[in-house]
Amino acid sequence: MAVLAVLAERDSYGYDVVRRLREVGLEDVGDASVYGTLRRLFKAGALTSYVVASDEGPHRKYYGLNDVGRSLLQTSAKTWTSFASTMNDLLKEVDPG
Amino acid sequence: MNPPLTPQDYAAAVREALADLPARDRDALLEDLDEHLAEVAAEPGMSLEERLGSPEAYAAELRAAYGGRPSGGRSSLGGRLRERVSGAVRRVHTRLLVLPPYRQAAVFAPELRPAWWVLRGYALALAVLAPISAPGLIPGDIPAWVFTLAVIWGSVWLGRRGRTRRSRWGRVLLLGANLLAAVLVITAMADVPSTSSRSVAFDYGPEPDAYAPGMRVERVSSLGEGDVYNIFPYAEDGTPLHNVRLYDQDGNPIMLEQGFDQELVIPCDGEPPIRNAYPLPLKPVEQRVDPTQPEATCVPVTPTPADATASPAPAAEPSASPSPSAEPSPSAEPTHRRR
Repeated sequence: MAVLAVLAERDSYGYDVVRRLREVGLEDVGDASVYGTLRRLFKAGALTSYVVASDEGPHRKYYGLNDVGRSLLQTSAKTWTSFASTMNDLLKEVDPG
Repeated sequence: MNPPLTPQDYAAAVREALADLPARDRDALLEDLDEHLAEVAAEPGMSLEERLGSPEAYAAELRAAYGGRPSGGRSSLGGRLRERVSGAVRRVHTRLLVLPPYRQAAVFAPELRPAWWVLRGYALALAVLAPISAPGLIPGDIPAWVFTLAVIWGSVWLGRRGRTRRSRWGRVLLLGANLLAAVLVITAMADVPSTSSRSVAFDYGPEPDAYAPGMRVERVSSLGEGDVYNIFPYAEDGTPLHNVRLYDQDGNPIMLEQGFDQELVIPCDGEPPIRNAYPLPLKPVEQRVDPTQPEATCVPVTPTPADATASPAPAAEPSASPSPSAEPSPSAEPTHRRR
């Protein structure tokens, strides 16, 4: 879902997705996890991809959301929000220390 | 220290670690791994391995992110079958959790686990001891007790060790032992009531009467209502039979208890009736109207019939003998019974 959210912001390529996820605070996100997730979403038909030639480095495969990906993101966001609010209610009384 | 892997080497190692995936899946997954790794490697500072871990770990992470299918999955028929069965069991379990009693049982069951460890050890120990010691549900002597306690200790130890770190054969063996113990416990439980009911039905107690030791049937219930205290034999053509002697398989006469409201009619001058000659001459116990006349236990015999034991009709024609119209069914009560 985090990968989808990053891609919803703008199209991106694998390494850039990792970097941006780490920037927003998901420090521990694994490179392989992000790469594997990208490939899985692509296989599931949620992503479009196109190759951009780059001058200084290798070709980069950019991924972007298509309609499937956007609706997938919407559904998971809804699920997450309701789950998170449930957990927040549950943990309201708990003193985090 | 090995020289740092190039992106190509690293990608090749990852590919190798994923060699068990179907070729199509693997190609789709690793399509642009090389470019991706080149990008990572372009970042200055650390080697690929320092940044990403070993190629094997990377492959495992990839696998998890891509499809969550663990290594070596979906290989053997047995494995697939096991997956399907355990999946079905899990689904049924999840569905049943809606029912509060099931939920409570599911929560409570793990607390019973230690009790099961003890019980299965006990059952297995008794099963081992059964051929060499006296039959019974408790060990017979001190060595048997020591052995039983040792087996229980082993069973509890096995249970406490947990289910992890067990080899495949260990698991199979444990499952077999558990099943065996369960069968033993269930058969033992099923056996107990049958033995105890047998001792209820037949009573080898002291004979109150003058006759030789015989099989005494203690008012066995027939059809749930009332007790058997007399037997009316009928011939094939429906004629009532008299003086039919009944014996059990060992030749002991079969005798019935008469209970409190029926008593045997004893002729005053003849021989007492044979206790296993049916139908028994019975009469309801009379409330003594006249307490000064205690010797009412015998009945004066009318002189017309011949010998009490030889004639087909009982000498003392009691009120207990069925009328010819009586149906040969338990409902044909020969006498009035006060209840």
